[in-house]
Amino acid sequence: MTELRFTRIADYLSALRKALHGADPALLQDALYDTEAHLLSELGDQASDPAAVERACARFGDPQEVAEAWRDNEARVIQALQPAPRASSPKGDFMHRTFAVVTDPHSWSALLYMLLSLVTGILYFTWVVTGLSLSAGLSILIIGVPVFLLFLASVRALALVEGRVVETLLDVRMPRRQAPEAPGTLWQRLRGWLGDRRTWLTMLYMILELPLGVAYFSFAVTALSLVLGLLAAPVAGWLFGLPMTIGVGGWIVPGWALPLCWVLSFAILLGTLHLVRWIGRAHAKLARAMLVQP
Amino acid sequence: MGSVDEAPDHNDDAMQRKLQKELNAASVPIVLLAILARAREPLYGYAIAREIEQRSDGAAVAKAGTLYPVLRTMAANGLLSSEVEPSVAGPPRRYYQITAEGRRTLELWRRAWRRTRDFVEPFLDAEEDEHD
Repeated sequence: MTELRFTRIADYLSALRKALHGADPALLQDALYDTEAHLLSELGDQASDPAAVERACARFGDPQEVAEAWRDNEARVIQALQPAPRASSPKGDFMHRTFAVVTDPHSWSALLYMLLSLVTGILYFTWVVTGLSLSAGLSILIIGVPVFLLFLASVRALALVEGRVVETLLDVRMPRRQAPEAPGTLWQRLRGWLGDRRTWLTMLYMILELPLGVAYFSFAVTALSLVLGLLAAPVAGWLFGLPMTIGVGGWIVPGWALPLCWVLSFAILLGTLHLVRWIGRAHAKLARAMLVQP
Repeated sequence: MGSVDEAPDHNDDAMQRKLQKELNAASVPIVLLAILARAREPLYGYAIAREIEQRSDGAAVAKAGTLYPVLRTMAANGLLSSEVEPSVAGPPRRYYQITAEGRRTLELWRRAWRRTRDFVEPFLDAEEDEHD
């Protein structure tokens, strides 16, 4: 049994990172955060004393052992969260694959995300553009530095918030803690943030969220109005005797064909939900690539 | 039990660790719930680890590092509630508190644990008697 010794917290964290190689990046971020917080709490102001760090790390556990605990735990959670009926339904079942999307809550939550993304997109976009230009404009004054610092901190916090939204609505594992950062003076931290690829990718994501949000929102609203309109048209026709016309020329749909509107409505809903799921998965991949540390 | 001490074998060591891990998977959640059920205020991870270490006289079978994933899972499952608060020294701390659901689960767990203990112990005692 090779007993590894660690005299710096950063060494222990990098050993843990290595031991968790290949694990979900979101899990990695949580594990590193909890570990660092624990060691810092235990060490207090002895964080730079090699002997104290060594003792604390030994008490905390071998990195391999800790990594295993995280992996085992995640495996159990995933197993427990996996809904039972999904396993029993045959995957190749065409009917199931086509219609299950309607009863799957994740389709509807993804649709909600598409509607919501216009609002968050506007907020993120405004925030980044304002923050960047304000920092640039004020950089000639001394006040520009704290403004930029606050802006960077807010971007990191918003990345976590967006991650929570994406995990809830798009059903993809995202970090539950802030990304760990090297301890040190304010200046060192600032340099760490500036050198972190993720800071810039997060800003890019926040800017991208506006055009994406506009596209998502327009698509969702158009599809939903089409579905609801086709659903309501026959009812309006029967109740109020309103004729249903198609196109500018005003071709009147004959009465016998009105129930077909419902069929069409359902077909469009089905297609929309499939597309929404697909877009949701693609967007979740984008969010993971840009917001989570690799 | 003397034979184990006389022949410290690496295989035995690894086996022991593996078995301990299996047992910890069941016992650590109970211990964490019990500590948080008795605590009068929310506790953060390190405080919980320290409590375990103190109460088990340094003979704690679970390393502090293995507690965190369990805390996180129990919070995700609604047995604990948690919130982050800034601390004077160091990074913000995540404080955990037991929920009503957690207390119910602890009670069920306590009963199951006692039954398991009562089920296992007589057999192990009988086996030790035979060896004597």
